[in-house]
Amino acid sequence: MSALLDLLNNPLVYYQTVAVLLLGLGFFGLIWRKSLVGMLISVELMLNGAGLAIVAASQLTRADAAMGQLAALLVMGLAAAEATLVLAITVVVARRFGHVESENISELRG
Amino acid sequence: MMDKLAIVAFLAYALTVLAGGVMAVLARSLVRALVGLVLTLFGVAGLYLLMSSPFLAFMQILIYVGAVGVIVFFAIMVTRPPAGAEEAGPRSARQILLAAVSGLAPAVLLGLACWKYRVEAGRVPADVDVGRLGEVLLGPYVLAFELISVVLFVAMAGAVLLGFERRRDR
Repeated sequence: MSALLDLLNNPLVYYQTVAVLLLGLGFFGLIWRKSLVGMLISVELMLNGAGLAIVAASQLTRADAAMGQLAALLVMGLAAAEATLVLAITVVVARRFGHVESENISELRG
Repeated sequence: MMDKLAIVAFLAYALTVLAGGVMAVLARSLVRALVGLVLTLFGVAGLYLLMSSPFLAFMQILIYVGAVGVIVFFAIMVTRPPAGAEEAGPRSARQILLAAVSGLAPAVLLGLACWKYRVEAGRVPADVDVGRLGEVLLGPYVLAFELISVVLFVAMAGAVLLGFERRRDR
Protein backbone atom coordinates (compact mmCIF):
# COMPACT_ATOMS: atom_id res chain seq x y z
CA MET A 1 0.00 0.00 0.00
CA SER A 2 2.77 2.41 0.87
CA ALA A 3 4.50 1.50 -2.39
CA LEU A 4 1.38 2.58 -4.24
CA LEU A 5 1.28 5.87 -2.32
CA ASP A 6 4.93 6.45 -3.15
CA LEU A 7 4.12 5.83 -6.77
CA LEU A 8 1.21 8.28 -6.75
CA ASN A 9 3.42 10.94 -5.20
CA ASN A 10 5.94 10.57 -7.97
CA PRO A 11 5.24 13.04 -10.82
CA LEU A 12 7.51 11.12 -13.18
CA VAL A 13 4.97 8.28 -13.19
CA TYR A 14 2.23 10.50 -14.62
CA TYR A 15 4.36 11.76 -17.48
CA GLN A 16 5.52 8.25 -18.26
CA THR A 17 1.93 7.00 -18.22
CA VAL A 18 1.02 9.54 -20.88
CA ALA A 19 4.11 8.55 -22.89
CA VAL A 20 3.30 4.83 -22.69
CA LEU A 21 -0.29 5.49 -23.72
CA LEU A 22 0.99 7.42 -26.74
CA LEU A 23 3.24 4.49 -27.64
CA GLY A 24 0.35 2.04 -27.35
CA LEU A 25 -1.94 4.25 -29.44
CA GLY A 26 0.77 4.53 -32.08
CA PHE A 27 1.28 0.77 -32.29
CA PHE A 28 -2.47 0.23 -32.43
CA GLY A 29 -2.81 2.72 -35.28
CA LEU A 30 0.13 1.21 -37.16
CA ILE A 31 -1.75 -2.09 -37.46
CA TRP A 32 -5.22 -0.54 -37.70
CA ARG A 33 -4.56 1.90 -40.54
CA LYS A 34 -4.85 0.79 -44.15
CA SER A 35 -3.05 3.60 -45.92
CA LEU A 36 0.60 4.59 -45.73
CA VAL A 37 -0.26 8.13 -44.62
CA GLY A 38 -2.30 6.84 -41.68
CA MET A 39 0.64 4.69 -40.67
CA LEU A 40 2.95 7.73 -40.87
CA ILE A 41 0.64 9.60 -38.47
CA SER A 42 0.78 6.66 -36.04
CA VAL A 43 4.59 6.59 -36.16
CA GLU A 44 4.68 10.30 -35.34
CA LEU A 45 2.51 9.57 -32.28
CA MET A 46 5.00 6.94 -31.10
CA LEU A 47 7.99 9.24 -31.59
CA ASN A 48 6.26 11.93 -29.56
CA GLY A 49 5.76 9.45 -26.74
CA ALA A 50 9.47 8.65 -26.87
CA GLY A 51 10.45 12.31 -26.67
CA LEU A 52 8.08 12.91 -23.77
CA ALA A 53 9.46 9.95 -21.82
CA ILE A 54 13.07 11.03 -22.38
CA VAL A 55 12.47 14.61 -21.28
CA ALA A 56 10.43 13.57 -18.24
CA ALA A 57 13.06 11.09 -17.13
CA SER A 58 15.88 13.61 -17.43
CA GLN A 59 14.08 16.66 -16.03
CA LEU A 60 12.62 15.03 -12.95
CA THR A 61 15.46 12.75 -11.84
CA ARG A 62 19.09 13.44 -11.08
CA ALA A 63 20.15 12.57 -14.63
CA ASP A 64 21.77 15.26 -16.76
CA ALA A 65 18.85 17.46 -17.80
CA ALA A 66 20.65 19.07 -20.74
CA MET A 67 21.38 15.67 -22.25
CA GLY A 68 17.74 14.67 -22.04
CA GLN A 69 16.57 17.82 -23.78
CA LEU A 70 19.15 17.35 -26.52
CA ALA A 71 18.08 13.73 -26.97
CA ALA A 72 14.50 14.92 -27.46
CA LEU A 73 15.76 17.43 -30.03
CA LEU A 74 17.55 14.61 -31.86
CA VAL A 75 14.32 12.61 -31.85
CA MET A 76 12.57 15.59 -33.43
CA GLY A 77 15.24 15.83 -36.12
CA LEU A 78 14.97 12.13 -36.89
CA ALA A 79 11.17 12.41 -37.03
CA ALA A 80 11.44 15.24 -39.54
CA ALA A 81 13.87 13.24 -41.71
CA GLU A 82 11.64 10.17 -41.52
CA ALA A 83 8.54 12.14 -42.47
CA THR A 84 10.36 13.58 -45.49
CA LEU A 85 11.39 10.14 -46.71
CA VAL A 86 7.92 8.67 -46.13
CA LEU A 87 6.44 11.54 -48.14
CA ALA A 88 8.75 10.70 -51.04
CA ILE A 89 7.97 6.97 -50.82
CA THR A 90 4.25 7.75 -50.70
CA VAL A 91 4.56 9.87 -53.82
CA VAL A 92 6.38 7.08 -55.67
CA VAL A 93 3.87 4.43 -54.56
CA ALA A 94 0.89 6.62 -55.45
CA ARG A 95 2.37 7.31 -58.89
CA ARG A 96 3.02 3.64 -59.58
CA PHE A 97 -0.09 2.02 -58.10
CA GLY A 98 -2.64 4.83 -58.03
CA HIS A 99 -3.38 4.28 -54.35
CA VAL A 100 -1.49 3.82 -51.08
CA GLU A 101 -3.33 0.99 -49.39
CA SER A 102 -0.79 -1.24 -47.74
CA GLU A 103 -2.75 -4.46 -48.28
CA ASN A 104 -2.65 -4.22 -52.04
CA ILE A 105 0.99 -3.29 -52.45
CA SER A 106 2.48 -6.08 -50.40
CA GLU A 107 3.68 -8.28 -53.26
CA LEU A 108 7.24 -8.36 -54.49
CA ARG A 109 8.18 -9.26 -58.02
CA GLY A 110 11.50 -11.00 -58.41
CA MET B 1 -1.96 26.80 -4.73
CA MET B 2 0.74 26.41 -7.39
CA ASP B 3 0.67 22.67 -6.81
CA LYS B 4 -3.03 22.52 -7.56
CA LEU B 5 -2.61 24.70 -10.63
CA ALA B 6 0.13 22.38 -11.88
CA ILE B 7 -2.14 19.37 -11.43
CA VAL B 8 -4.97 21.09 -13.30
CA ALA B 9 -2.61 22.08 -16.13
CA PHE B 10 -1.20 18.56 -16.31
CA LEU B 11 -4.67 17.03 -16.51
CA ALA B 12 -5.71 19.45 -19.24
CA TYR B 13 -2.57 18.75 -21.31
CA ALA B 14 -2.80 14.98 -20.78
CA LEU B 15 -6.45 14.98 -21.84
CA THR B 16 -5.53 17.00 -24.94
CA VAL B 17 -2.76 14.53 -25.78
CA LEU B 18 -4.93 11.45 -25.36
CA ALA B 19 -7.99 12.87 -27.12
CA GLY B 20 -5.81 13.95 -30.03
CA GLY B 21 -4.13 10.55 -30.14
CA VAL B 22 -7.43 8.68 -30.24
CA MET B 23 -8.66 11.01 -32.96
CA ALA B 24 -5.44 10.53 -34.95
CA VAL B 25 -5.76 6.76 -34.81
CA LEU B 26 -9.48 6.23 -35.27
CA ALA B 27 -10.72 9.09 -37.49
CA ARG B 28 -12.20 7.98 -40.80
CA SER B 29 -10.88 10.93 -42.75
CA LEU B 30 -7.12 11.35 -42.90
CA VAL B 31 -7.36 15.12 -42.63
CA ARG B 32 -9.21 14.71 -39.33
CA ALA B 33 -6.53 12.27 -38.22
CA LEU B 34 -3.94 14.95 -38.99
CA VAL B 35 -5.91 17.46 -36.89
CA GLY B 36 -5.84 14.93 -34.05
CA LEU B 37 -2.07 14.55 -34.47
CA VAL B 38 -1.58 18.33 -34.31
CA LEU B 39 -3.72 18.43 -31.16
CA THR B 40 -1.47 15.77 -29.61
CA LEU B 41 1.64 17.72 -30.60
CA PHE B 42 0.34 20.86 -28.93
CA GLY B 43 -0.50 18.88 -25.80
CA VAL B 44 3.01 17.43 -25.65
CA ALA B 45 4.41 20.95 -26.08
CA GLY B 46 2.34 21.97 -23.06
CA LEU B 47 3.74 19.07 -21.06
CA TYR B 48 7.27 20.23 -21.99
CA LEU B 49 6.39 23.70 -20.70
CA LEU B 50 5.14 22.14 -17.50
CA MET B 51 8.50 20.41 -17.10
CA SER B 52 10.20 23.83 -17.35
CA SER B 53 11.80 23.23 -20.73
CA PRO B 54 10.32 26.10 -22.77
CA PHE B 55 12.92 25.78 -25.52
CA LEU B 56 11.79 22.24 -26.24
CA ALA B 57 8.14 23.32 -26.26
CA PHE B 58 9.01 26.01 -28.78
CA MET B 59 10.94 23.55 -30.93
CA GLN B 60 8.09 21.06 -30.68
CA ILE B 61 5.68 23.61 -32.15
CA LEU B 62 8.20 24.79 -34.73
CA ILE B 63 9.40 21.40 -35.98
CA TYR B 64 6.50 19.06 -35.33
CA VAL B 65 3.45 21.27 -35.81
CA GLY B 66 5.12 23.41 -38.44
CA ALA B 67 7.22 21.03 -40.52
CA VAL B 68 5.93 17.52 -39.90
CA GLY B 69 2.29 18.62 -39.94
CA VAL B 70 2.75 20.27 -43.32
CA ILE B 71 4.62 17.22 -44.66
CA VAL B 72 1.83 14.87 -43.59
CA PHE B 73 -0.71 17.22 -45.15
CA PHE B 74 1.29 17.15 -48.38
CA ALA B 75 1.29 13.35 -48.26
CA ILE B 76 -2.50 13.32 -47.85
CA MET B 77 -3.02 15.74 -50.73
CA VAL B 78 -0.51 14.11 -53.09
CA THR B 79 -2.10 10.69 -52.78
CA ARG B 80 -5.55 12.18 -53.52
CA PRO B 81 -7.69 9.73 -51.60
CA PRO B 82 -11.47 9.81 -52.04
CA ALA B 83 -12.65 12.46 -49.62
CA GLY B 84 -13.82 11.16 -46.27
CA ALA B 85 -13.51 7.49 -47.15
CA GLU B 86 -9.77 6.84 -46.93
CA GLU B 87 -10.05 4.46 -44.04
CA ALA B 88 -13.61 3.24 -44.53
CA GLY B 89 -14.54 -0.40 -44.87
CA PRO B 90 -14.76 -3.10 -42.26
CA ARG B 91 -11.78 -4.68 -40.56
CA SER B 92 -11.61 -8.39 -39.97
CA ALA B 93 -11.82 -9.60 -36.39
CA ARG B 94 -8.25 -10.84 -36.73
CA GLN B 95 -6.97 -7.41 -37.61
CA ILE B 96 -8.79 -5.81 -34.67
CA LEU B 97 -7.31 -8.43 -32.35
CA LEU B 98 -3.81 -7.95 -33.74
CA ALA B 99 -4.07 -4.18 -33.44
CA ALA B 100 -5.26 -4.41 -29.83
CA VAL B 101 -2.52 -6.87 -28.89
CA SER B 102 0.22 -4.85 -30.57
CA GLY B 103 -0.98 -1.73 -28.81
CA LEU B 104 -1.31 -3.30 -25.39
CA ALA B 105 1.77 -5.54 -25.32
CA PRO B 106 4.52 -2.88 -25.41
CA ALA B 107 2.56 -0.59 -23.10
CA VAL B 108 2.06 -3.32 -20.51
CA LEU B 109 5.67 -4.51 -20.79
CA LEU B 110 7.08 -1.01 -20.36
CA GLY B 111 4.65 -0.27 -17.56
CA LEU B 112 5.76 -3.40 -15.70
CA ALA B 113 9.41 -2.47 -16.23
CA CYS B 114 8.79 1.02 -14.83
CA TRP B 115 6.93 -0.50 -11.89
CA LYS B 116 9.73 -2.90 -11.09
CA TYR B 117 12.69 -0.54 -11.50
CA ARG B 118 11.26 2.73 -10.30
CA VAL B 119 13.59 5.58 -9.60
CA GLU B 120 13.51 8.42 -7.17
CA ALA B 121 12.14 11.51 -8.82
CA GLY B 122 11.92 15.00 -7.48
CA ARG B 123 8.83 17.15 -7.71
CA VAL B 124 10.66 20.15 -9.14
CA PRO B 125 12.04 19.82 -12.66
CA ALA B 126 15.63 20.80 -13.36
CA ASP B 127 16.23 24.22 -14.84
CA VAL B 128 18.42 24.34 -17.93
CA ASP B 129 18.82 27.56 -19.87
CA VAL B 130 19.31 27.67 -23.60
CA GLY B 131 22.91 28.82 -23.30
CA ARG B 132 23.88 25.67 -21.46
CA LEU B 133 22.01 23.59 -24.04
CA GLY B 134 24.08 25.20 -26.78
CA GLU B 135 27.33 24.65 -24.88
CA VAL B 136 26.55 20.97 -24.36
CA LEU B 137 25.45 20.57 -27.95
CA LEU B 138 28.68 22.04 -29.33
CA GLY B 139 30.88 20.52 -26.62
CA PRO B 140 30.49 16.86 -25.68
CA TYR B 141 27.72 16.10 -28.18
CA VAL B 142 29.12 17.79 -31.25
CA LEU B 143 29.34 14.47 -33.10
CA ALA B 144 25.61 13.80 -32.65
CA PHE B 145 24.92 17.37 -33.79
CA GLU B 146 26.91 16.92 -36.98
CA LEU B 147 25.48 13.46 -37.64
CA ILE B 148 21.89 14.64 -37.36
CA SER B 149 22.59 17.32 -39.96
CA VAL B 150 24.07 14.67 -42.25
CA VAL B 151 20.98 12.49 -41.69
CA LEU B 152 18.68 15.39 -42.54
CA PHE B 153 20.66 16.19 -45.67
CA VAL B 154 20.68 12.57 -46.85
CA ALA B 155 16.94 12.26 -46.18
CA MET B 156 16.21 15.37 -48.21
CA ALA B 157 18.51 14.36 -51.06
CA GLY B 158 16.95 10.88 -51.06
CA ALA B 159 13.46 12.35 -51.11
CA VAL B 160 14.33 14.52 -54.11
CA LEU B 161 15.91 11.52 -55.84
CA LEU B 162 12.86 9.34 -55.19
CA GLY B 163 10.42 11.96 -56.40
CA PHE B 164 12.47 12.81 -59.48
CA GLU B 165 10.71 11.93 -62.70
CA ARG B 166 12.99 11.19 -65.61
CA ARG B 167 12.09 13.05 -68.75
CA ARG B 168 10.76 10.61 -71.31
CA ASP B 169 12.58 10.39 -74.63
CA ARG B 170 10.32 10.78 -77.61
